[in-house]
Amino acid sequence: MTEQTDQDRFPTLSPGGAAMLKRLREHPFAPIFRNESGNRLRAADLLRVQEFERIVLADQSLPSHEPPTWLAEFVANCYRDVPYYRARGACPETFEQIAPVSRADLSRDIAPFVPDSAPLDRLINFRTSGTTGHPLLLASHPVVAANYLAFHKRALRRFGVELSANAGQVGVVLVGFQRKCFTYVSVTPSMGESGLAKINLHPNDWRAPGHRAAYLQDLAPEVLTGDPVSFAELLNLPLTLRPRALLSTSMTLLPGLRSRLQARFQCPVLDLYSMNEAGPIAVFDAAAGGHVALQTRLRIEILGQDLQPVQPGERGEITVTGGFNFCLPLLRYRTGDYASLRITGTDLVLDGLQGRPPVQFLTSAGEWLNNIELTHALQPLALSRFRVHQRKDAALELYLPSDTSASDANLALGALRGLFGASQTIDQLALAAEDKIVQYTSDLPA
Amino acid sequence: MNQEGPPLESLLHRLAETPEDFLAEPSIGKTGRVHVAAVAADLSRLLGHSLSADELRAFEASGKNLQRDANFLRVVSILCWLLSDGWFRSARPTREQLSSVLVTSAHELSAQTPSLKFATDAERREEMARLALSRFGYRPLGETVAQAQDRLMTLNAAERARVLNAAKVAEERARAVREALAKKAAAESADKYSRE
Repeated sequence: MTEQTDQDRFPTLSPGGAAMLKRLREHPFAPIFRNESGNRLRAADLLRVQEFERIVLADQSLPSHEPPTWLAEFVANCYRDVPYYRARGACPETFEQIAPVSRADLSRDIAPFVPDSAPLDRLINFRTSGTTGHPLLLASHPVVAANYLAFHKRALRRFGVELSANAGQVGVVLVGFQRKCFTYVSVTPSMGESGLAKINLHPNDWRAPGHRAAYLQDLAPEVLTGDPVSFAELLNLPLTLRPRALLSTSMTLLPGLRSRLQARFQCPVLDLYSMNEAGPIAVFDAAAGGHVALQTRLRIEILGQDLQPVQPGERGEITVTGGFNFCLPLLRYRTGDYASLRITGTDLVLDGLQGRPPVQFLTSAGEWLNNIELTHALQPLALSRFRVHQRKDAALELYLPSDTSASDANLALGALRGLFGASQTIDQLALAAEDKIVQYTSDLPA
Repeated sequence: MNQEGPPLESLLHRLAETPEDFLAEPSIGKTGRVHVAAVAADLSRLLGHSLSADELRAFEASGKNLQRDANFLRVVSILCWLLSDGWFRSARPTREQLSSVLVTSAHELSAQTPSLKFATDAERREEMARLALSRFGYRPLGETVAQAQDRLMTLNAAERARVLNAAKVAEERARAVREALAKKAAAESADKYSRE
């Protein structure tokens, strides 16, 4: 296997960009960076990324409940170019006749969902754990990853923020707070090679806990991105920095935490509805009363339990078609999240978005764990689905499908005891054969 | 095959009733009497297209193997009879579809079967009728896409080979995708401004 070099990770790196990487890595208060990654953008890619951003930011097309003009060609192309759909035979005559796909379909084998036209030599993957019990390995491309920024900028513009980080400045710090977290440094070529650091606030990743605040304070990033768990930890640090915005993803950002973050950092705190499968889908805007859609080339439908579209305003499963990941075009992809849909003025709004609630679990040592840690521990096992509940007495209930083998069940119990401690009480129970499960629940107040 | 076409029986009946003129020896050199290129040109006009002299050369004997040439040309002749049916005239196939049937499909059919069987043998009639319909994007009336595909694959060796080959190509591609995604470079991923 060929070892990756900085040339692979940063094909267009300038001396200024190299200096930024050095600063981020070798800062006296820098964390222990566990991994390596990069923008992987070549000069021609950068032009594509810039053009994409120009189009996204200039796009003023109005939302409609009617099928958009690009849809028919997109569907036809999926049936021509994507093995999974091609294997279904002819393209149905109406859009509603296309059978939706679910996370379980992608989880089974992602390969047939990658179009024949997608170049394989620069494929990258995104792994996602999620809350529905189907870990995913998704195909993507450096250009797709870089294009996220266009939608972040579109979201920020709603709140009067225009990003301007440039050479010599730190554009963004991605903040996690987990026992194990993918961490690295990089630069963003489309923003003058401004710095990017993905860090883990867990004290295990730092030489001294006090370094966390000192590092962030000195970097003074223009934007901080993270999730409600990592942002809650930020509030515990003696920070006086003034980012232009905070972007929260992964889990529902509850209003109380948003208010505290806004008060503390004196900037807009955006709650992005985003997923690896489709990128940033919508941003919460209190003025609009819900999550406002960000991608005009992503058709959003709401499906009822019968998998048929519901009437505007009725609740159902958010189902998406289109998107900007040319390595994974989505055709009626059921997200597993629920909302109702309405159009108000120029906005397509998701009301009452529900999904991915954060759940914390208490270990026998008295430490709080995020549900993502459980997912990481259980996802390598051959479980089709699972559900974990913590009772008031802190005992765990592990629900597994009734056809789970004894050895798989033992591995799962062992993995949980590895996290919670050898003395942890765990009751193994049978998972009901229901369509959708709430994977993590707890009776303990976190 | 995503559109429903005519009842299969009407096409089978037409083939069973192929007139002697279309089954006669094709004209090659000094032998035979049916000028297949002229028949193909007439059919094309009937369906709204005009084939160039270059295109019509596909319906002349190559001279390399007279027996094979004769079989191919008679298959073209029988196809011309089939496609001059009123249903095909109203379906208005494109020039490319027409050429695909009269040249590619005719070569495939003639490579496997003596041409007269497409008029005299029930299964071969069905094979020709289904193949022509599918190349124009149609399936017999009352059949699902899966039924039509399955039946055509059973009857037609070339279609069978095409499906098997497509499955092999798809599996190779899927393996290449899995390998590409498993590489360390892919796992290192690339920058996004936020995580999910």
